Amino acid sequence: MQRLMNIDRRIIFVLVFLGVAIPLLVDFYLPIKPTSTVQAVYDEIERVAAIDEGTVLLSFSYGASTEPEMQPMARSLVRHCFSRDIKVVAICLWPEAPGLAQEVLQTTAAEFGKTYGVDYAFMGYKPGNYSVILNMGQDFHDAFSRDAWGARSNTLPLTRDIRSLRDFDFVFDLAAGDSIEFWWIPFGQEKFGFPFAGGCTAVMAPDLFPFLQSRQLIGLIGGLAGAAEYEILMDRRDSATEAMRAQSITHVIIIAFILFGNAVFFLTRRRSVRP
Amino acid sequence: MTRDTYIFLAFTLLFIGVNIYFLADGTLRLDWTGFGIIVAAGLTLALYSFLYKDNPLFKFAEHIFVGVAAAYVFGQYWYPTIYGEIVAKFAALASEEAETQGSTWWLLVPSGLGILMLTRFSRRIGWLSRISFAFYVGLGAGLTIPRFTSSFILSQLEPMLVPLSWDFEGLNLFIILVGVVTVLIYFFFSVEHSGAVGHASKIGIWFLMVSFGASFGYTIMARLSLLIGRLRFLLDDWLQVM
Repeated sequence: MQRLMNIDRRIIFVLVFLGVAIPLLVDFYLPIKPTSTVQAVYDEIERVAAIDEGTVLLSFSYGASTEPEMQPMARSLVRHCFSRDIKVVAICLWPEAPGLAQEVLQTTAAEFGKTYGVDYAFMGYKPGNYSVILNMGQDFHDAFSRDAWGARSNTLPLTRDIRSLRDFDFVFDLAAGDSIEFWWIPFGQEKFGFPFAGGCTAVMAPDLFPFLQSRQLIGLIGGLAGAAEYEILMDRRDSATEAMRAQSITHVIIIAFILFGNAVFFLTRRRSVRP
Repeated sequence: MTRDTYIFLAFTLLFIGVNIYFLADGTLRLDWTGFGIIVAAGLTLALYSFLYKDNPLFKFAEHIFVGVAAAYVFGQYWYPTIYGEIVAKFAALASEEAETQGSTWWLLVPSGLGILMLTRFSRRIGWLSRISFAFYVGLGAGLTIPRFTSSFILSQLEPMLVPLSWDFEGLNLFIILVGVVTVLIYFFFSVEHSGAVGHASKIGIWFLMVSFGASFGYTIMARLSLLIGRLRFLLDDWLQVM
């Protein structure tokens, strides 16, 4: 029994590896039901689609370390916007984000035949965290005087008429850190009063649920599961939906280990208590 | 040589052999993209080799990551900010654009404060950095205290103060109300946790446990997502078996 209590952790690693690798290699789908928080984001984009020349601000606040979770989410959102002819302005508040944001914007724009400067614009990275948000709320052109390629923001057709954050019909932050609760909500959404929602890594999601109840966040896409739900809503199964196969199978393995560990622990304790 | 040395040498030779085979086979292209995939696959495997035990391959990959990340972040700070927002704007003042850049002179103030921060490297004039830090702390406190009070206390209290109702929404509100009150009681140490206060604080502990469990579950999901991302890369981009 004592040997079972001290299983070599490398056995667990191998089982988790197989739990991830096999579902990725075998093609099957498990049912995914969109939750209300993800549905709320989808509905908000649909609301913006009904507005003439509706414009969305996407803030990229994540880096390469969270790319598997955040990139499918970003891709789905940009796809949804472009498929509904919504204009997209993208900014980066994390130094690692520009490469990832540029990849999503350019590949998706090519997919939908969108023109840079007219249908979408990429303003690049700006340091300063919440100061940038305050600056954008007061004067967007002052915060981002040029786009990522050096063109003046007051000359680009898409951004020349945007004066402040209030001119966006919807703002969405893709966050791997605390930018949603510590930057965007206090210094952006609350101060300037625009419709705001966020997408975050699964680690952060529990911390953000209170902001949904207070309506400081309209909706929330949490982690890979949230991204997969968004793909289902878009009726376009992609990398997140595929990855959820591996996620679900590995969760079963981990739950089995937790139950096994507890069962062995209680059996060991019962034996040691007996005279 | 120890057994582990043989294992890591075999692992390295196997990795080289697989890549030579893929390049000869045409699975990987002999260009910068193919080279990038090989480097990324090698670094991924080197980092995961830590799961077996600490080793030189892991250390090598770790140091490369730190160096590349530092250089990348410096590049991101230098070009759009230090160069784009300060150097280029001051340079424009001396050129024909000077008339349109009249308001740029105020940049001297933050630039000066930024330079003062660098005086910390000198023992003799390091005290000058306190001026910048004083400004930074004062500005930060002035901006964040009212905003955080509004966002995290007042706005969070508001949805709790709505009347309870006899439906599912009302039940949710009631559970949240009980959770907030009992957890606050648990963290109230000025009264002994016995009797009614003790019972309430025990309920608070249960709410905290459920919260920790939810956070832990989400953390597992997040970490697995990263593993899935890396394995997808290895199986799809590198081995191309997906």
